[in-house]
Amino acid sequence: MTSETLPLTDYAVSARGLTKSYGHDSTRVQALRSVDVAFARSRFTAIMGPSGSGKSTLMHCLAGLDTADAGQIMIGGKDLMSMNDDELTMMRREQIGFVFQSFNLVPTINAKDNILLPLSLAGKRHDRDWFNTVIEALGLRDRLNHKPHELSGGQQQRVAVARALLTRPEVVFGDEPTGNLDSRTGAEVLSLMRTSTREMGQTIIMVTHDPAAASYADTVLLMKDGQLVGSIEEPTVASVTEALASLAE
Amino acid sequence: MLHVALANIKTYARRYIAVILAVAIGTAFLAATLAVNTSTRATLKNSLGDSYKNADLVAFPDWSMASSEGEESKDLSMSNLDDVRKLNGVSTAYAIAYSAGEVHTADNGYTVLTSPVSAEQNLGGMELVEGRAPLRANEVLIDDSHAKDMNVSVGDTISLNSQDTAAKNYTVVGLQRSSTDPQISGYALLGMQEGAWTKFAGKDFVPSSIVVNASGNIDAVQNELKTYFTDQKLKNISVLTADEKVIKDVAALTDGSDQLTMVLLVFALIALVVTGLVVVNTFNVVIAQRTRELALLRTLGAKRKQIRSSVLIEALLIGILASVAGVALAVGLMAGLIKLLHIYVPSMSYATLALSPIGLVIPVIVGILMTVIAASLPARRAMKLAPLAALRPFDSASVKNRAGKLRIIFGLLLTLGGAALLGYGAYKGELPIAFVGGLFSFPGILMLASLFVPSSVYGIGKLVAGRSVAGKLAALNAVRNPGRTTATATALLIGVTLVSMIMVGGQTAKATLNNSIAGEYPVDVTVSLFDQKADPAKTEKLAKEISNIQGVEQSTTFRSATAVIDDPGSSEDAGLQLMAVDPQGFEKVALDPSIVPADGEVVMVSGYLKPGTKTMTLGGETLKVKESKASLYTDIVTFDTLKTLKTVDANSGFMGVLVKVDPKLDSAAIGKLVDQIVETAGVERYMVDGGVVQNAMFSQIIDVLLTIVSALLAVAVLIALIGVANTLSLSVLERTRENSLLRALGLKKKQLRAMLAQEAVLIGGVAALLGLVLGVAYGLLGAQATLSGMGDMSYDIPWLQLAIVLVVSIVAALIASITPGRRASKLSPVEGLAAE
Repeated sequence: MTSETLPLTDYAVSARGLTKSYGHDSTRVQALRSVDVAFARSRFTAIMGPSGSGKSTLMHCLAGLDTADAGQIMIGGKDLMSMNDDELTMMRREQIGFVFQSFNLVPTINAKDNILLPLSLAGKRHDRDWFNTVIEALGLRDRLNHKPHELSGGQQQRVAVARALLTRPEVVFGDEPTGNLDSRTGAEVLSLMRTSTREMGQTIIMVTHDPAAASYADTVLLMKDGQLVGSIEEPTVASVTEALASLAE
Repeated sequence: MLHVALANIKTYARRYIAVILAVAIGTAFLAATLAVNTSTRATLKNSLGDSYKNADLVAFPDWSMASSEGEESKDLSMSNLDDVRKLNGVSTAYAIAYSAGEVHTADNGYTVLTSPVSAEQNLGGMELVEGRAPLRANEVLIDDSHAKDMNVSVGDTISLNSQDTAAKNYTVVGLQRSSTDPQISGYALLGMQEGAWTKFAGKDFVPSSIVVNASGNIDAVQNELKTYFTDQKLKNISVLTADEKVIKDVAALTDGSDQLTMVLLVFALIALVVTGLVVVNTFNVVIAQRTRELALLRTLGAKRKQIRSSVLIEALLIGILASVAGVALAVGLMAGLIKLLHIYVPSMSYATLALSPIGLVIPVIVGILMTVIAASLPARRAMKLAPLAALRPFDSASVKNRAGKLRIIFGLLLTLGGAALLGYGAYKGELPIAFVGGLFSFPGILMLASLFVPSSVYGIGKLVAGRSVAGKLAALNAVRNPGRTTATATALLIGVTLVSMIMVGGQTAKATLNNSIAGEYPVDVTVSLFDQKADPAKTEKLAKEISNIQGVEQSTTFRSATAVIDDPGSSEDAGLQLMAVDPQGFEKVALDPSIVPADGEVVMVSGYLKPGTKTMTLGGETLKVKESKASLYTDIVTFDTLKTLKTVDANSGFMGVLVKVDPKLDSAAIGKLVDQIVETAGVERYMVDGGVVQNAMFSQIIDVLLTIVSALLAVAVLIALIGVANTLSLSVLERTRENSLLRALGLKKKQLRAMLAQEAVLIGGVAALLGLVLGVAYGLLGAQATLSGMGDMSYDIPWLQLAIVLVVSIVAALIASITPGRRASKLSPVEGLAAE
């Protein structure tokens, strides 16, 4: 990534000097060591690394779910580090979408209401055309009136993807989005995510430890010990596996 | 957020059943209290208004309209009635006046109230049930219910007299409906022809009011009347419409029922506080279970305020549902009670169910507010959830509750300050000070509950568990969430503390009164035959008959006499009332041996004697004085001594029987014994007196009060027990994974149920135990503060009743664990682990 050549604001998401540690004194863990990173618009990026490498912490900080100790985070030209809780909430509501490993749908309401939840929290009406586009793209037309427990895992995750896409956010974060799916439905969801980048211009940042999942991305960033240690453009399963193996040394 | 809240309530309806029940009961209590108040008023209005039922206007002396400048106020008179009848627009007018008289039938005599009745003047407000109005001077009406009692029917002749008029015979020509006006009901009513009544009662008899029916415009007639009374210089006569007069009378009579309402409101408040604790607990658990979901909403862009309002909306909906149900329950209950009253007590047919809109709306509002306010604490906690919590795969459900420092400090101040006041008030016998002390210290202790409740539960749990795994787990689980355990236990503790306080206080009051009353009387029971001339043989026979009654240990006779003290220093002759007894017999019944006289001696109370008095000349004889510290109403001599004295009432003195009863008898048995004595002696009840009788009476009053108060507090205890069941069943839901893991690892279904039962018993039992300790302390101190002015305190703790409270709490907690236990044990080990 060429963070030196472009000002930070030209990226969908970028961070500079991001530092984060947990615990005190002897139990202190340095999760992020002055990370500089930038994610171009309309790209699908995967962040990989062994457990404890800081990839999840990086994503939580970038998404405004966790606060970094120091550094700067810009999303859509706004600095997250200077925001209070309400401003962060508005940011999440309007500029950020989430897809989680365990789907995280509200169990008591149906698929349609789950998809519309971020908009109804904001008290906004949805764009009917865009809603239909997203629903058709994800093949959810027949499932809108089902409660989450009446849906398969793949369907639940597609509902979660639809929920993330509906607000046309600056960026969608995926936290092991296929971790709870079998490989076939996982592949289905990942293709849908890639399609949304290609056809809808959606920026996606995904944390995963599965090389097969990472191979759907445009770029793979590699992390170790709280630092970015490399990247792979146009990754394949083989190239990612190889790169991971070299990290583990 | 409304649709999320609604969906939550729909999905988790079962989790809210208990809390809805608790809120509904609390609200129902409040609504019933207010309905009792309005119904009492309506019933009174119905019965008081009986006198003015068909009237338009009432003229009556209103003493609040003080006559100005010391002008002499004039009373109404029957001549005013004649004038009023001549006024324009007055169609009929009659006086409400009741003059006492005595009626003698062939068998018996009765006190009656006579009133004027005129056939032309609306029958004087009376309603004929049978026969006709009295037209001649020797004709009367009698009210139907007393006619039955007197065994008099239409056509019979009765004799009527008053203090001033000689007996005369009258013919009963009709029956009038008996009045429900509480001011006169209970008396036999006699309606007389108006002229005859005026002669009977006297021309100057002052009627209590003049009632008018208008033929024209009521306002115009009212003005006409006002002008007339002003012209007559009757300035303090007020003229109101019948409705206005009834409202005025009700207001004057309902002071007492308002006090009843206040007392009931206090109990309703206690029930509501307990309900509030149940609500707090429920929402705490519900929110703990929904941590992930709420955090997810935060991640998706819900503001903190939105999370809080979603919880509060749920509370609001539950509050509305439960409060409306509670008020409906109260109304149904009251309607049922009044219906029963109508069926089983026909004389109360005027009892009316009255519901004021305010009385219905207030409980609903209070119920809703209470639910929302109680839920606002858990809602604040929910608001503080970090969005990140949604991303943790499995959030452990354990919630740490740190008791706020501020709460501890405040609680400590209240407890210490309150305890100091309570102690001081008890020591000095100042009830108001002690009361304020209790009012401060109890909430203070409740604030500190989080300091001692969980550790007591854990400590006792470990002690009881021994080596059983289920027991150990139960002890650990019971304090797994100290805040929740504290709130659950506190709800029960409040009820148990108050119940046991009342029990201990009541018992101590009984014992203390027993003690102080016993000191006031020389013997257990005195039967005084005031109405008969002294007859030694007959009295002797009666004493023997009484001693045959079961429960009577000894009996002896006495004779009352009055002798003159020969005091050379005094110009007037002072009479001294004496009781003469047989010393051998008296020794056996006397409660204090120092009051038994020997021949030639007079027993006198030391307090009334000049110090150093050795002898006294009585009725011409000089007697040795025997001082006694016991309190006596009369001085005591022997029969033989009495014979030597000149007495004032040698021919008119009465005799009686002194009785000693079995000290083991309780108050109910003594009540029965007194009934038997009354029957055996053929005397009126007031002629039987004595310490034991007084004790039995006080004990019965205290017992009735205790029963009522305990029943009222039982509502609070019931709600608290619903809370125990609630907490437990929510905990079971929360621990689904863990319980199935235990099952997978080899815990038997039975053991799982036992574990839950033990957890419930631990919380319920420890709460009850702590409540009992507090209740005993408050009860003793409260009784000391109230009664220490009455003399020596006798502390008495009703161990049996307190043990029953403990057992009931434990058994109820056990019952509360049945449903949750069943649900937990239904779960198959695999199912539970699969559920997320």
